[in-house]
Amino acid sequence: MVPIKQLKTLRAIHFICPATQAVKVSVVGDFNAWNPSAHPLRQGPDKVWITTVELKHGHHRYAFLVDGVLTLDARAQGITRNDQNERVSLMPVS
Amino acid sequence: MKKATVRTLVKRPVAGPVDLPARQGRIHPVVIYPFRNPEDYSNLEQLYRLVARLDAEPCKYARPITVVDRKTHASMVGNAVYHAFRTGTVAVHSDILDAWCVDTCQMWYSGLGLAYEKGGPGDVCWLIPGDFNYGSSTGQEVLSRLHDLPEIILELNQDVCIGEIATDHGNSKQLIDTYGTFALLYNWFPSEAQEIRQYTERPRSEFFAIRHEFLGEVLRQRWFAYEQTVVTLLSAVFADKRISRFFVGHISDLLEGRESLTSALQQVERTERVLKTLWRERNQSSPDWLARYRVLESQSEEIRRTALTILQNLLG
Repeated sequence: MVPIKQLKTLRAIHFICPATQAVKVSVVGDFNAWNPSAHPLRQGPDKVWITTVELKHGHHRYAFLVDGVLTLDARAQGITRNDQNERVSLMPVS
Repeated sequence: MKKATVRTLVKRPVAGPVDLPARQGRIHPVVIYPFRNPEDYSNLEQLYRLVARLDAEPCKYARPITVVDRKTHASMVGNAVYHAFRTGTVAVHSDILDAWCVDTCQMWYSGLGLAYEKGGPGDVCWLIPGDFNYGSSTGQEVLSRLHDLPEIILELNQDVCIGEIATDHGNSKQLIDTYGTFALLYNWFPSEAQEIRQYTERPRSEFFAIRHEFLGEVLRQRWFAYEQTVVTLLSAVFADKRISRFFVGHISDLLEGRESLTSALQQVERTERVLKTLWRERNQSSPDWLARYRVLESQSEEIRRTALTILQNLLG
């Protein structure tokens, strides 16, 4: 259960991955402890993968897991390193 | 002889956002005042609105520093508008560091050096160039994003964060980086250049923030009079530091700051000189360094000549 105070600071963020040939795509990041099964993306009619995650204010590190391969988001506003020193994408939420 | 007005800073506990790592350091903004003082102050007025907001948050930001080249100041003797802006705006919201500088990079060195001395472990120093069109609508958008650079370092435990600006393909800075900077980097430091390009297309960006500890390492190395961002990025790759890149928006230089062909050629030549020197410093202890150096130097000359031809065709 998310506290009401925290709910007010959450923003719905859309993750879109145009890996049209992929079989399975999820988004992993600091916000879900890099858990591959926490936020799977669903494929739309145009074959583009999409999901929505509520994130709090700050800068978030994330990447797509495309058929098991860590993949940067080409639409991301930045690039950074995660705790495993891998290059990952960066998203500001304000 | 540099003069600095140092204000006593009151250290207060810093609160971090909910569930985010607690902020461990303060941010030290360093503004580089334009070398050529603009006739129209609208861009600087916008910039100093931001600086005023930073100055009003002493828990998060140290007192901002503005570096002014003494030659700029001397050229404005008798200009009442300049003096009113300096005393009524710049000095109100920041400590002015007057310094005689051979180039903008020496202004960076002086400003970042002072910020380093004022700061401590865990802090972040944030460079803000003064000669951009902040007064335009896109410039104001950029101003609203610049604060992300030091915050990324604090929140995500990074060592350096480069602010990337988008320009059109014909922009002189873009042309210099494409045909000059990266071509030369691939010659002198090929593996490091590939690493840098994975982060940024603008390795000479003037927008960046750097962790206090890493800044200390960089300041103690040989300081070239130019192309410090390239050297800092190379140093970061050499030492396996954490590099981040953040897109700050679309922006173009002020008309006064746009490169002429002569300036573009000079920047390519300077980049080559810096890379040569850096390569020698890192390799001169190797027994075969001179033979390797001669090969690279020969290739480098070809690259520079080609870049000059391209720039002449596009900018001349």
